[in-house]
Amino acid sequence: MGEVNLEDVTKRYEDVTAVDKMNLEIRDGEFVCLVGPSGCGKSTTMEMIAGLTIPTEGTIYIGGHEVTNLPPKDRGVAMVFQNIALFPHMDVYDNISFGLRLRKYDKEEIDRRVERASDIVQLEGMLDRMPDEMSGGQRQRVAIARAIVRNPEVFLMDEPLANLDAKLRVHMRTELQRLHKELDTTIIYVTHDQAEAMTMSDRIAVIDSGQLQQIDPPLVCYNEPANLFVAGFIGSPAMNFVDGELTENGFRNEKVEVDFDPADVGATAGDDVTLGIRPEDVYTLNDAGSLANPTKEIEAVTDVLEPMGDEIFVYLLLSEDATVDLDEESRGGMTDQLLMSVDPDSDISEEQDVNVVLDRTKVHLFDTETGKAISHGLTATAPSGADGSTAAESDD
Amino acid sequence: MATDNQQGAFETNRDAEIKRGPLETWVGKVIKNPKRAYRSMFYVATVFFLVTTLFPFYWLLVLALTPNNLISNMGLLPKGFNPGVFVTMFERVPFHLYMFNSFVLGLTTTVIVLLLASLAGYVFGRLRFPGRTFLMLAILAISYFPPAAFFLPLFQLFTGGTNLVLGPITVSSPDLFNTPAPMVLPFSALFMPLSIFILTTFYGQIPDGLEDAARVEGTTRLGALFRVIIPLSAPGVATAGVLTFISVYNEFFFSFLMNNGEASSWAPIVAGILKYQGQFDTPYNLMAAASIVGVLPVAILVIVAQERIVSGLTAGALKE
Repeated sequence: MGEVNLEDVTKRYEDVTAVDKMNLEIRDGEFVCLVGPSGCGKSTTMEMIAGLTIPTEGTIYIGGHEVTNLPPKDRGVAMVFQNIALFPHMDVYDNISFGLRLRKYDKEEIDRRVERASDIVQLEGMLDRMPDEMSGGQRQRVAIARAIVRNPEVFLMDEPLANLDAKLRVHMRTELQRLHKELDTTIIYVTHDQAEAMTMSDRIAVIDSGQLQQIDPPLVCYNEPANLFVAGFIGSPAMNFVDGELTENGFRNEKVEVDFDPADVGATAGDDVTLGIRPEDVYTLNDAGSLANPTKEIEAVTDVLEPMGDEIFVYLLLSEDATVDLDEESRGGMTDQLLMSVDPDSDISEEQDVNVVLDRTKVHLFDTETGKAISHGLTATAPSGADGSTAAESDD
Repeated sequence: MATDNQQGAFETNRDAEIKRGPLETWVGKVIKNPKRAYRSMFYVATVFFLVTTLFPFYWLLVLALTPNNLISNMGLLPKGFNPGVFVTMFERVPFHLYMFNSFVLGLTTTVIVLLLASLAGYVFGRLRFPGRTFLMLAILAISYFPPAAFFLPLFQLFTGGTNLVLGPITVSSPDLFNTPAPMVLPFSALFMPLSIFILTTFYGQIPDGLEDAARVEGTTRLGALFRVIIPLSAPGVATAGVLTFISVYNEFFFSFLMNNGEASSWAPIVAGILKYQGQFDTPYNLMAAASIVGVLPVAILVIVAQERIVSGLTAGALKE
């Protein structure tokens, strides 16, 4: 019914390729989020599914039918827009019933459906208001009612919560999830807010530079990112990346050493690799007791503390003359700093020498050149000839 | 110290020596406060425009109220009071029929112009395509051509004087003289550019999201134009409509030449006013009265639509 398939869909404008050979399979009843930074092609992808933009190449199927060149009205989709896009010259009832009236439904059927739709989004008693007499959240609910009233096969939502204030956004997020359970319709949801994507979707499609990077359930994207981009994009604050080289004994750079056998992760020594570790998987020596298999100690100096209430983010400098690189775009190049998340009760202060370890099972390895993931998590026990044997050697 | 005192005394003396006349005083104040100059210029200009635009109407009223046999060596006041002229004018010439013709011509042209200019405005305002600027400029250029340049060929065409030879068949252009068509068609073409410009600006300001929403909800592009974009651009459409109507109503050239001047031949008020001219007399009072009556509808239209026109020409911005 509501499955959506994109096959090699490409959209080129005069000088840019907005979407590049996108292949996407979305199942019936699935809630899929398209996420990515601004200008990555996620909105263009959605517009092509809606029919507002015609792809340069490729084929789009909705519910098994090819719709590539059909006008939007014949595709059985409904859309909620970022700027809400209620018709300002119509009251709520007329806005919701717009599509039904165009399709010449009879009056009673329209009344019945509008009532049901407005019940679902809790708009009772507001049907004769004009859009400019309503709050942002109410308007957004009208827009959603306008979309659901036609029982579409597919819902398209283009950053519908982006223009709402933070509190309302969280509220509407749960409302949308409830709605999805109630209607059981395919929902394709575009957002650049990865918190929305993580909390709501069945699967996340991460898009960058017009290309699909990964489409997987949220936790898979979080725990097993397919490449450096996904690793850096999903998760807030972002994953730490440390550039280095793969030797026969494992990962090496000036400050960070992680021992393992390259063969275990299917790599060869000598490759340039990037090590990724999430802030919550970096531990101070005090907290490391619970770790079954910590890595070697890394010497660091704390720089800035960011107490969040439930945790403290600690910026660690790995060498004395290092400075904090505030440019978020420079992913994969930060060899001199690490972000660590610690317990709020931790006794830690700024400019303090601290030795940290990483959780071996949570270490990600990426090929620096291609960005592709090599492995997620190293073997739970240190392989012989690595950490353990180092200790044994010193015993000798 | 002493020099300071001397200096002070010297200055006071010099101030007292300068005596200024009223104009110099005013100039002095203006130099200190330039706003005064702008304000006086505004008043001068306003008075000038009021006199030049309103005085002719006053003069028409003076002429209309003066009995025709007394119209000579007129002063600023009517010689006599003859309101009956406003009844006589309808008895002498079926002026109401001429006005009806003017209305029909004006409304038909307005409808045609709004319809076509809406389509053009949509394309120019909302779509990007190569050659858009060039086409806009071409329309602008054509709107500056003198209408007289079109007249002879159009007259030939509309009076059946143009033959199209298609092999053995020769098709003559239809004789449309004394019908509304030879006036409405040139009017539409001449007044279209202005409306296209107004509507382009308005349609271009409607957020894309609204059109997209309408199209997803089930309209075609045209449907979105008529159901969403035009209703939201109401001030602009009203402005374009009123301006077109007034232009047609005021038009002289084609109105005068494309018919034989009879009310039954769709001649507008221009011909009606001239119709009072008899072989042996020239009833200036009736002509003046007819002119006043002819102006009234437009004056009323402007007053009624004023708010719309002003908001249409100035603001027109829409929130979402």
